[in-house]
Amino acid sequence: MSYIYSFFRSVFFILFIFLSFVRPLNAQEKIWNEWLALVHYQKTLFGGYESTIDTPNFFLSMNGKYNPQDEFEATIALFQSNDYKKQCLFPARYRFLKKYQLIEASFPSCKEYEQFYHDLRPNGITLLFTDANMNNPSSLFGHTMIRIDTARKGTQLLGHGVTYGAFMGENPGPLYPLLGLFGGYYGGFTVKPYYEVVNTYNNIENRDVWEVNLDFTREELDFFIAHTWEVGQAQSRYFFLTRNCSYLLLENLDAVRPSLQLAKKFPVQVIPLDTMKAVQNIPEISKGINYRPSRQSKIRHRYKMMNDIQKKAYLQAIKTHDYHIKGMNEEEKADVLETAYQYVQYQYVAGNTELQEYRKESFALLKERNKLKEKGKIGDPEQAEVPMLAHDSMRAVLNTGVRNGKDFKQFSLRPAYHSWTDDNYGLGQGAEINFLETTIRNYDNELVLQNFDVLAIRSIAPVDQMFAPVSFQILWNIVRDYNPQTDKEGYVTSVKTGGGAALRLNDNIIAYSFVNGVLGYGGFIQDNNVYGAIGGEVGALASYENWRLWLKAEKIYASVKWKSQMLYYVEGAYSLSRNWALSASYKYEQNYGHDVEENMFGIRYYF
Amino acid sequence: MKKIYLAAAVLGSMMLSASAYAVDSTGCGLGSMAWKGERGIGPQVLAATTNTSFGSQTFGITFGTSGCDPDGRVSGGTGRMVLAFLENNMEQFAMDAAAGHGETIDTLAGILNVDSEKLGEQTKIHFASIFYDENADATSVTLSMIDLAHEIA
Repeated sequence: MSYIYSFFRSVFFILFIFLSFVRPLNAQEKIWNEWLALVHYQKTLFGGYESTIDTPNFFLSMNGKYNPQDEFEATIALFQSNDYKKQCLFPARYRFLKKYQLIEASFPSCKEYEQFYHDLRPNGITLLFTDANMNNPSSLFGHTMIRIDTARKGTQLLGHGVTYGAFMGENPGPLYPLLGLFGGYYGGFTVKPYYEVVNTYNNIENRDVWEVNLDFTREELDFFIAHTWEVGQAQSRYFFLTRNCSYLLLENLDAVRPSLQLAKKFPVQVIPLDTMKAVQNIPEISKGINYRPSRQSKIRHRYKMMNDIQKKAYLQAIKTHDYHIKGMNEEEKADVLETAYQYVQYQYVAGNTELQEYRKESFALLKERNKLKEKGKIGDPEQAEVPMLAHDSMRAVLNTGVRNGKDFKQFSLRPAYHSWTDDNYGLGQGAEINFLETTIRNYDNELVLQNFDVLAIRSIAPVDQMFAPVSFQILWNIVRDYNPQTDKEGYVTSVKTGGGAALRLNDNIIAYSFVNGVLGYGGFIQDNNVYGAIGGEVGALASYENWRLWLKAEKIYASVKWKSQMLYYVEGAYSLSRNWALSASYKYEQNYGHDVEENMFGIRYYF
Repeated sequence: MKKIYLAAAVLGSMMLSASAYAVDSTGCGLGSMAWKGERGIGPQVLAATTNTSFGSQTFGITFGTSGCDPDGRVSGGTGRMVLAFLENNMEQFAMDAAAGHGETIDTLAGILNVDSEKLGEQTKIHFASIFYDENADATSVTLSMIDLAHEIA
């Protein structure tokens, strides 16, 4: 009897769905969209559907990956069957069907799933972002995760992080990064205690973590847990740029509340920070932000907050490894010892201290700290610039300029991400990463491709008494070059790499120097179509409220005479708002033959 | 476009692999978490860059332990949870224990179901016996903390 009842119900349901294509029926459409989101279906170019999930065990029907209807019917059939073991794998689908009274059966007792739920003791959902610290190549684009908050006593360290990533097996060959980019591996979800997540990002990789609390109802929260269980064994081909960690998490959030339509906002590239912005732009879902500083951020903050006597004692202690601090009260001493302890941990993780030496030093600090009755005054930093409030990643620039007396107009488009003279808020001073910036220039009635920057990474990180990071640059571009001997222009592909050091002069200014190597290739270059060059570069970056300024002088010695030159460059930008800025630049090239003088004035828009 | 990202990753790793160092066995005391399960900086950075990881999928979530207690000295769900937490947080807990307060104390107080302030106070007083020397390991610290919680409760 109940079988027939359910059968008619599902037939009606499917009928409604078909009808909805002809004449949209809101309620049915809503249900259908929920179903699509739940099984991770996305529309294909040809109007059909395809689920992002690849593993067959996620589907109940033969053609389930491509056929939402078949899969729907198979799911109804599953919950009318006695296959309780299989039913236990799909608690979210059950909830969905039950909510719309499309099935009658009750959910079986599932020991493993119940244990999973019990271990989590879910109490909320938090979206996590680990920042993109550009001096650390492993974090160039940031990373997103979800935390299942816990109702356990204690702290959220006992919550669990849900993360999506590719699995490479025990012995990946040397090509594994390539495979990670082109879909050579399968990605899947991992759930682990939040304290492990914190340890990895804050303490080992020295990356700040941002926690954005999401406003889900209790029912939605339970649905999220059920869905996490459902996709727990499922895998999808992993593509670092498109179907990546952030994209799959968006689909999971869509599954819980399909009206969010987050995944649809990212049809092509998925930059983790952009996904955070997309979530934050939905006011009804983001409740509040919490900042969890990295170990390095903690050390820097604590040092900055110390008084001069503390600073001196602290630097002396980490230099001499003698932690008997004198000449200050207990509170001040506690600050110094706790900061020095963090610094010792930092050095050990960085591989600069042997284990036994590290343990001896840590223990000495602990014993000294244990002697003090008072608490320190300086805590960990509670706030920092929020990366989600940084300017948007895409940039268009319109310039007007003069080159040796010739007027021109110029247009540039950059898909991602941040340049030295863009607004540094939330992204840090001295970090630059640009991809595929294309520049087209128009003289009177001549339109030329001026520049194609395949990749530009520049990272200057100041050396100080605690940290000695390397500054570097990697620039790969196709540029319309100028030969002053022949007075002709033509295209050259060049790769320039440089390494050096930077020094912070004050809160606003960083000075740097690089030694550079350049390799150029192109038919425009005479003699073998190739040139090599070495050179040196000194420069400075300044940043004040809405202003940024970049100055540099560069000397190049090249294997072709015309490419040897001395270059002076100044670029400034003034932000009108988060996504609008004015810019100006001046360049002077001392060449063999003709010198070149060029200035530009432009407007930048970020979107 | 993908090639470009790859180039960045490879170049990045080449720069860092210069400072890569061999990972030795660090047992279960201070410093044990630093490179747990990792294989040096080079591979780790590359893996993180492309958000890939070694090994295969492990979905099982647990507060399970990883072999710091082969003789089974710690028993019971609560005890094993304390051990799992300490294995992962020895460095931070050691400082919180010495100071008598902090996030790891709050967390342990939650697991052990005791007052956090009291636990902090007692941990600070008994610091020298909990961390008897620089090689104190997670299992012995766990047993001490369980005893301490019994005394408070």
